[in-house]
Amino acid sequence: MYQALLVFRYLTSRIIPLIAVAAVALCVTLVIVVVSVMTGFLDMLRSSGRTLVGDVIVSHDLVGIPYYEELITAIEKVDGVEAAAPVVETFGLVSMPYGVRGGNRVEMLSIWGIDPTRLQRVVDYKRMLYWQYPDDELMPTLASDDPRLDRSFDALDQAMEMRSPEGAPGMVLGIEISPFNQRQRDGSYRTAPRFGAPQNPDYWMVGQNVSLTVVPVTSGGTLKAENRTSMRIVNEFRTGVFQFDNNRVLVGLAELQKMLSLDESTQRDPVDGTVLGVKPARATTILVRAKEGVDPNVLKDRIAPVVDEFLAAKASDPAVLKAQVIVPAGIEVKTWEERLESLIGPVEKERALMRTLFSLIYVVCAGLVLAIFWAIVAEKTRDIGILRSVGAGRVGILAIFLAYGLVIGVLGSGVGLGLAALVVGHINEIHTAMGQPPPAAIAFAAAAAAFAAILAAVYSARRGSVLYTLLWLIVAVILGGLAFLFNYLRQTGGFTIWDPRVYYFSRIPSQLDLANALLTMAFATLFSVIGAAVPAAKAADTDPVRSLRYE
Amino acid sequence: MSETTPLLSGRGLRKTYRLGRVNVPVLKGASLDVAAGEWVAVVGSSGSGKSTLLHLLGGLDQPDRLDGGTVLFEGQIVSSLGPGATNRYRNRKVGFVFQFYHLLPELSVVDNATLPAMVGRSPFGWLGARAIRRRANELLGAFGLGHRLHHRPNELSGGERQRVAIARALVNDPQVLLADEPTGNLDAKTGQEILDVVRDLHRKGLTIVMVTHDPTIAAQADRRVALVDGAIA
Ligand SMILES: Nc1ncnc2c1ncn2[C@@H]1O[C@H](COP(=O)(O)OP(=O)(O)OP(=O)(O)O)[C@@H](O)[C@H]1O
Ligand SMILES: [Mg+2]
Repeated sequence: MYQALLVFRYLTSRIIPLIAVAAVALCVTLVIVVVSVMTGFLDMLRSSGRTLVGDVIVSHDLVGIPYYEELITAIEKVDGVEAAAPVVETFGLVSMPYGVRGGNRVEMLSIWGIDPTRLQRVVDYKRMLYWQYPDDELMPTLASDDPRLDRSFDALDQAMEMRSPEGAPGMVLGIEISPFNQRQRDGSYRTAPRFGAPQNPDYWMVGQNVSLTVVPVTSGGTLKAENRTSMRIVNEFRTGVFQFDNNRVLVGLAELQKMLSLDESTQRDPVDGTVLGVKPARATTILVRAKEGVDPNVLKDRIAPVVDEFLAAKASDPAVLKAQVIVPAGIEVKTWEERLESLIGPVEKERALMRTLFSLIYVVCAGLVLAIFWAIVAEKTRDIGILRSVGAGRVGILAIFLAYGLVIGVLGSGVGLGLAALVVGHINEIHTAMGQPPPAAIAFAAAAAAFAAILAAVYSARRGSVLYTLLWLIVAVILGGLAFLFNYLRQTGGFTIWDPRVYYFSRIPSQLDLANALLTMAFATLFSVIGAAVPAAKAADTDPVRSLRYE
Repeated sequence: MSETTPLLSGRGLRKTYRLGRVNVPVLKGASLDVAAGEWVAVVGSSGSGKSTLLHLLGGLDQPDRLDGGTVLFEGQIVSSLGPGATNRYRNRKVGFVFQFYHLLPELSVVDNATLPAMVGRSPFGWLGARAIRRRANELLGAFGLGHRLHHRPNELSGGERQRVAIARALVNDPQVLLADEPTGNLDAKTGQEILDVVRDLHRKGLTIVMVTHDPTIAAQADRRVALVDGAIA
């Protein structure tokens, strides 16, 4: 009972415990903000990855899956499947039309052959297309000079057709492929020769001619002579995932099948040339979308046997045998998460690393609390002696300082949570404000305040107070430094930490990771108590007679 | 020796401090009996061990492990009780008053005076908190501090602080008041006011052991004992 009173009084009548609370709060804020942003980042990466590949992926690289339309029909009958769409994946050389500004450049890119209408049933293809007139949701977020507000940059229809208005086969580029797509701070793009220049239609990729070169692989696995086709760029896509936007192009499924000899043809005997039967068209990949609320892992386990069954049936089908169609022995079935492992894995590891590194902060926290409590206990030995003289036991004394540490930990983490919620919730505003050059008035105010602080220091010196002179000088130096910093930022235009031109996403994740925050708070409190325990034990051991001997 | 058992007694008390490698014997077999209701003044030169004796009697310190003598309260050995029982003894049976008042600076006058009562209660024993407070208010009122209840110790004069300390010593109704030069830090007039308070308590039957080196103060007590060369002369 007396412990509660003392903890309360010690807490409310001094500055030192407030410093301890502030220290704990700052530690907690830092950890929560960092982990929340990382978690949000991971979530964003995941969700955009998923919107790109669907929930379950059935694939057989290079040689492809024969009779894939029958397999799709079978898969679409599986309980929990919303839709499935075929894709042909390969690598190819694209000679980019940067020639407008001199010379073609050949890029090695990942090529996806898709059927826009069928893909749309599995992933939101339309939403990925960048050059289209903004819908009502997007409209209010656009800058007034955004080129998409100009209908002449609307290329949605040609991308849905995968054909240029003139009828040429279409190609959709990842938006980060062209070096002329300049990503702005708000995440939008301007096509221009360099960053900062306004939209310039000369550098717009849509409408330019490209040529695509791919190398077909026979169903037996050998290479054939390369195939080259002219195409017209019909749009660009943005998924938000840099690895995709930077090296993937989409072309028509039928077009790519033809180029890769994956289309339907007549199977002839290699020796005498007699017709054996029909060689079926092939797709390398089938993207499957789960019905709302169906776990991809569960769905994968339902699809895998259907695929095996399909393969077994085909392998023993007399018509297939007669046509000498090679049926793969096994086909890979993966969830989107497994498929994107190489993308998500590193970020997950990074988060774990961050969490570990920042967990060291708890130790700093404990150290701070320990140092502060050591000072408090040293100053309170006489109080401890008095308490012992009126009958308080060692355990009682120990309890005072442990409870004190607990209160500081709880208060600190509470304040820290509040601060973190504020920072995380407004992180984009804070970041935007930091990215803007500060107004001249602020730099001027800081300089004026620094000058005032110097005057105050001089005044304190004349009054003969060393402490206040020193404090005012420190304030003057800090304010002066700020004035210089503001002035510097005014000239350089602020600083951007999360540059959307570098990161995958244009906005910093601003979701507070509550589970993590609670964990952080619990740890901070625990370490505060641990930090308080050592001085508390020292307090319990204080010899009352010694501490009471002198005034 | 009187026919009744003394309320508080020290028998052959020895206390040796170790300074580095040298043993400094301070008490070398001091014995003292204090009868119930008696006011005993302990005198002696500075450093003779008066405070040490008082601490042993009050259970704040222990005599030497080996052959250190015993402290008895109502015939029961106090000096070898366990820590919990010793704490309870300090809390219930005796009240300490020190030369330098030793109030907790962060607590108000009334909280300081209530402290032993709060310490003596279980952490959950809010029951009776009012009774405790009433008792402290009563004592402080009787000592002329009724208007100072919510002040901090540093807002009080020395004499007022010492009266708060006496109120604190009495709040649990102890049987013995152990005062270590309670007027040592006060001017003669204020010191006499404190002594008047003590005399009043003595009249009401409280047993008092008071350490002083002022002969005029010692003369006001029932009995005067001198501590010379580590023993009661
Ligand atoms: N913790 C300790 N360690 C070593 N020596 C001590 C310790 N406490 C007390 N002493 C010594 O024991 C002796 C007796 O001290 P004590 O305080 O009991 O004397 P005192 O009679 O109360 O003196 P005063 O009148 O000055 O208050 C002194 O010489 C003191 O230096
Ligand atoms: Mg003394």
